[in-house]
Amino acid sequence: MNDKINELIKAKENIKLGGGIKRIEKQHSSGKLTARERINLLLDEDSFIEIDAFVKHRSTNFDMASVEAPADGVVTGYGTVDGRLVFVYAQDFTVVGGSLGEMHANKIVKVQDMALKMGAPIVGFNDSGGARIQEGVDALSGYGKIFYRNTIASGVIPQISVIMGPCAGGAVYSPALTDFIFMTEKTSMMFITGPQVIKSVTGEEVTQEELGGAMTHNRTSGVAHFMDKTEEETIKRVRELLSYLPSNNLEMPPVVRTNDDINRTDEMLNDIVPENPNKPYDMKEVIKSIADENEFFEVQPLYAGNIITGFIRLNGKTIGVIANQPKVLAGCLDINASDKAGRFIRTCDAYNIPLLNLVDVPGFLPGTNQEYGGIIRHGAKVLYAYSESTVPKVTLITRKAYGGAYLAMCSKDLGADQVFAWPTAEIAVMGPDGAANIIFKNEIANSDDPIKTRMEKIEEYRNTVANPFIAAQRGFVDDIIVPSHTRPRLISAFDMLETKRETRPSKKHGNLPV
Amino acid sequence: MRKFKIIVNGQSYEVEVEEISSKENSPVIPNTVTREEKKIEKPQPKPEVKEEIKAQAGQEIVEAPMPGNIWKIVAQEGQQLKAGDVILILEAMKMENEILAPRDGKLSKMLTKEGSTVNTGDKLAIIE
Repeated sequence: MNDKINELIKAKENIKLGGGIKRIEKQHSSGKLTARERINLLLDEDSFIEIDAFVKHRSTNFDMASVEAPADGVVTGYGTVDGRLVFVYAQDFTVVGGSLGEMHANKIVKVQDMALKMGAPIVGFNDSGGARIQEGVDALSGYGKIFYRNTIASGVIPQISVIMGPCAGGAVYSPALTDFIFMTEKTSMMFITGPQVIKSVTGEEVTQEELGGAMTHNRTSGVAHFMDKTEEETIKRVRELLSYLPSNNLEMPPVVRTNDDINRTDEMLNDIVPENPNKPYDMKEVIKSIADENEFFEVQPLYAGNIITGFIRLNGKTIGVIANQPKVLAGCLDINASDKAGRFIRTCDAYNIPLLNLVDVPGFLPGTNQEYGGIIRHGAKVLYAYSESTVPKVTLITRKAYGGAYLAMCSKDLGADQVFAWPTAEIAVMGPDGAANIIFKNEIANSDDPIKTRMEKIEEYRNTVANPFIAAQRGFVDDIIVPSHTRPRLISAFDMLETKRETRPSKKHGNLPV
Repeated sequence: MRKFKIIVNGQSYEVEVEEISSKENSPVIPNTVTREEKKIEKPQPKPEVKEEIKAQAGQEIVEAPMPGNIWKIVAQEGQQLKAGDVILILEAMKMENEILAPRDGKLSKMLTKEGSTVNTGDKLAIIE
């Protein structure tokens, strides 16, 4: 009996070594951790339970029959993060390059199915050379099964992809179908076709890092959501993100008790909007001021900076924030900002996270590149996402709210449950300058001093129309509040909205403009 | 075959004319209309005199993020900048947008001046 137990222990020890000490050292020297080290960093100490460690590939093609691949190149199982169940898989680059074959894929599929059945988040670490070519169509089928489950589980359980090595070709579509993508600087890479193929087809020369590195996908393409310098920091951030999310779509996000006074006021907010409406200010200051402990967990901080997305807590409860940033592109909505916001709104709605919208938007960004790029259909995503969402929605207009962009930023008519405005708010069809030029065209033209008349008329328009009082008279704004009292007022509103129930007509699914 | 005598400008010509039977040899008139192609001289695009400014190794070009007017130039050529320092202010959408240095470095060249109108992607400055 003891012999058998010892044999088992030895076999497990062997599997734990993955591709062997040499390859592990190579992994470490290139600034990367091993699959098991990553899992242990992610999960609470000693909570990881591995499954399918003994799975072996069954390919005999080429020389595969003699290839030993412990755990078939992927470590799978479950454990806890902050005491909550999380499923996990991590591709092991030290074992046949983490390549994905039939059994490797089956292991991932098994934890995907379990995560969905148990209603728990799944975190996948991608570090793989791609499909195991020797296994041919069996490997391809494996990818297909994973994509299918990514889609079925979308909006049911949070799915998080952590790219910590190469992730190329079709493999990129599994992360792309998940809710959040994390990347680590210098070591992670994502692209459909690599630099060599691009060079042979289009003649462009580009390095791997420029083409699909962490910076590219966080700043330029918007594919990824987070970037950190080291794998340790990246994994820490994954844990932090999980703390804002519920385990599945039927639960509420965990409440984190706070010592921050719910009635805390902040005089700074009374002065943050500059006297001159042409001057920008930093909307992140507003977000941090109202959040519990002034903590803001920003999502996609490097992409489309004209709109800010991320999580805060108010009275311990997770709130998704969507805010215009006057400091970047004047806070205009453009194609990238629309995509970023639309996606984030839908993520929050799927996981029962209430929405806070901070509005200071002069309009949609003008330009031929925007129109040709389809700002109409991209901008429509924001309107669609807001209208479709049934979570509590609170909108605060800090300054400009003009025209279509005012409507798009979760106005009363798109279903905001509460709309607040600061006294500095200007809610109108267009900015005072443009409006005065149209309305007072004749007066200005016939004036002895057109410039002076124009300035007077702009001021007249600003005073009579571009303020929050007219919108409040009509009930489009529920209340005009003193800026310093924003935090208590928002907390009160979200508390009131906690029992909100709103249903939509039943349908297969809506037709989101993409 | 019939013979005719035709006088043109006083000169007399004898002409033989053959009548073709319409049944057998009637020419087939194609059911299409062709139009003579007129050659239109296309104006040749003038060769761009402006030199394309490209970033040399170690340089980064700051581009206009949106269309607008250069309202104020804040940084001087040759000035040492830190990432986040204001290079110039671009007035667009009724907002004074600060254009910031993307990274630490020397502002080696200013490619625009106050009052100019710029479009998205226009090159504003070079940092090295």
